[in-house]
Amino acid sequence: MVNTLMETVMSNQVSIPLIEPMLDLLPEIPVLQYMVAFMLWKPLFAVLICPGLTVGGITLLFFPWIERKLCGRAQWRVGPHEIVWWLGGVIQLLADTLRFLFQEVIVHKDAHRPYFLQFPFLSFMIFLLPLLFIPAGTIVAIQTPYAIQIILALVCLFPLFILGLGWASNSRFAYIGTVREAFMYFAYEIPFIIAAIAMIILYGTSDPLLMASRQSIPGIILNPVAALVFFIGAAMATSRMPFEIAESDQELCAGPHVEYSGIAFGLIYVLCYEKAYILSALMTILFLGGGSGPAIAGLGDLSGAFWFVVKTYLVLTTLFMLRAVYPRYRLDQGLKLGWSPMLVMALIGLAISLVVVAVRVI
Amino acid sequence: MKMKSMKKVVGPEYNLSEKIKTNVYAVGVAMQESVYPHTMTVFYPRERKKMPDNYRGFILFDPDKCISCFNCSFVCPANAIRMKEAPSRRYYPTVDYGRCIFCHFCIDSCSGGALKATKIHDVAYKDMDEMFTPTEEMIELPEIIREDKKYVEYEIEEDDLHLKRTKGEDYLFVEVPPPIQIPMVSQCIDRASCIGCRVCEEMCESGAISSSAENGMLRMKIDTDKCTGCGLCVKECSMQILMLKLKKFE
Repeated sequence: MVNTLMETVMSNQVSIPLIEPMLDLLPEIPVLQYMVAFMLWKPLFAVLICPGLTVGGITLLFFPWIERKLCGRAQWRVGPHEIVWWLGGVIQLLADTLRFLFQEVIVHKDAHRPYFLQFPFLSFMIFLLPLLFIPAGTIVAIQTPYAIQIILALVCLFPLFILGLGWASNSRFAYIGTVREAFMYFAYEIPFIIAAIAMIILYGTSDPLLMASRQSIPGIILNPVAALVFFIGAAMATSRMPFEIAESDQELCAGPHVEYSGIAFGLIYVLCYEKAYILSALMTILFLGGGSGPAIAGLGDLSGAFWFVVKTYLVLTTLFMLRAVYPRYRLDQGLKLGWSPMLVMALIGLAISLVVVAVRVI
Repeated sequence: MKMKSMKKVVGPEYNLSEKIKTNVYAVGVAMQESVYPHTMTVFYPRERKKMPDNYRGFILFDPDKCISCFNCSFVCPANAIRMKEAPSRRYYPTVDYGRCIFCHFCIDSCSGGALKATKIHDVAYKDMDEMFTPTEEMIELPEIIREDKKYVEYEIEEDDLHLKRTKGEDYLFVEVPPPIQIPMVSQCIDRASCIGCRVCEEMCESGAISSSAENGMLRMKIDTDKCTGCGLCVKECSMQILMLKLKKFE
């Protein structure tokens, strides 16, 4: 039984020529070789290292800092600075997380206690699920021909948990924020999905690996309108600054998560970064060619993963830079933007895709 | 009667190409600023703004040059300077920094150049009583923990303010040349009016004025070599017959 298990594991390994001489030494060590073989098994590698736990963790740990630093510099402020000042305050979020960990989680009297405590942790887990279907180069945890649809379905599940947070909080600010979140959800979701479907039609497949191989010209050039709609939709979905309508700091403090404190707040704080990471990864797959790029000698399968992460981080940075440039939309302006120009542009994008497919067939 | 017509304020209307142009410009500026920001912030303990040499800061005192003329305490508009008697029976200034407005009139009025300005502006005290600085604490520079490795200067280039950082420490104590001293001496201009109250003798710090009784008459004498020209006797003379005059060199 161990042998059959090892055969399945060994047949689907991440090949990295750079560390192969080290791996050749391993058979002499009894337990370690099985562990390393298991670690390099592609599904597990995808979950644990890239694009899963390690890269995701690094993103969550450093991108809030990068966002604050970049926006601060663009707006002539300084951004996080005092913690490890010679590195510009890189470990700011680590310090914040430590503080959140030891802070008391206050559950106020009117809150629905079980849901109030469950939802932050539940939503954190749900937000991680799409990573199973996102391939970094050729490394993917679950390979299905319906990966994009599944990712979209899981992404559409996110606002439900935000609504749950707001409902369990049972406070007027959380209530208003939750209603706004629901309004915005309907505004961006339809153009967002239409833009993704336009790309599925364009490539004729929804398998991310096949999609990457069919993007000899990146999708952003083939269908820039759909790319724009998808990008704005992503900005709305992550409630980043120009569309920070549900969590507006000025009127609602933090919207649905105004009542949270301690580590529960810490989890919710990184939720939108997690969401941004997943949507940027999706954008990389749909419009920027996924993990395709010039192969780097010695990295093997990791080369694709490297290009995937670089492109994802590029999209993430652009998404965060919006905050420094645009002022915040009102709820009615956001709804108007979602329902009229974006919907029309998404349909134009769909038409462009159909035209491209028709030209290709002829 | 004609009604005043109301006007609705409308924002400027842009067409699509102008909208795209302004958006691209805004994003471009944000990108440029995030790479090379024109931030004006000075990270204070680690770098200091370079102050001009004539900056009005903490006041230093050199007792050797002081002639105890009381000019600093007379001129002080905030009454921060009080003269206190030192063990050497001479009067030296003390500064109450709770009152001091850092006008540096005292330094300007100091005839011997005993008071000196420094660039120190970040002295901290625990309470109001500690802000009273006796003469002993004014003689040496206060203890400063210097963390700064750079100093910062503001420069105007092309109608734009820029920050210029230079490695090195800014010197907080500026050595200025001593003021040109005009040697003065006290002189009695109307001996007949002297009532012999001997206030001038009591006032004189350097012992230049002495009195002697001759034939039942009091005779005052001013020793021009000992006189420092502080002018205290001139201020205190009840008949106002003393005057400061230029010292004649022989």
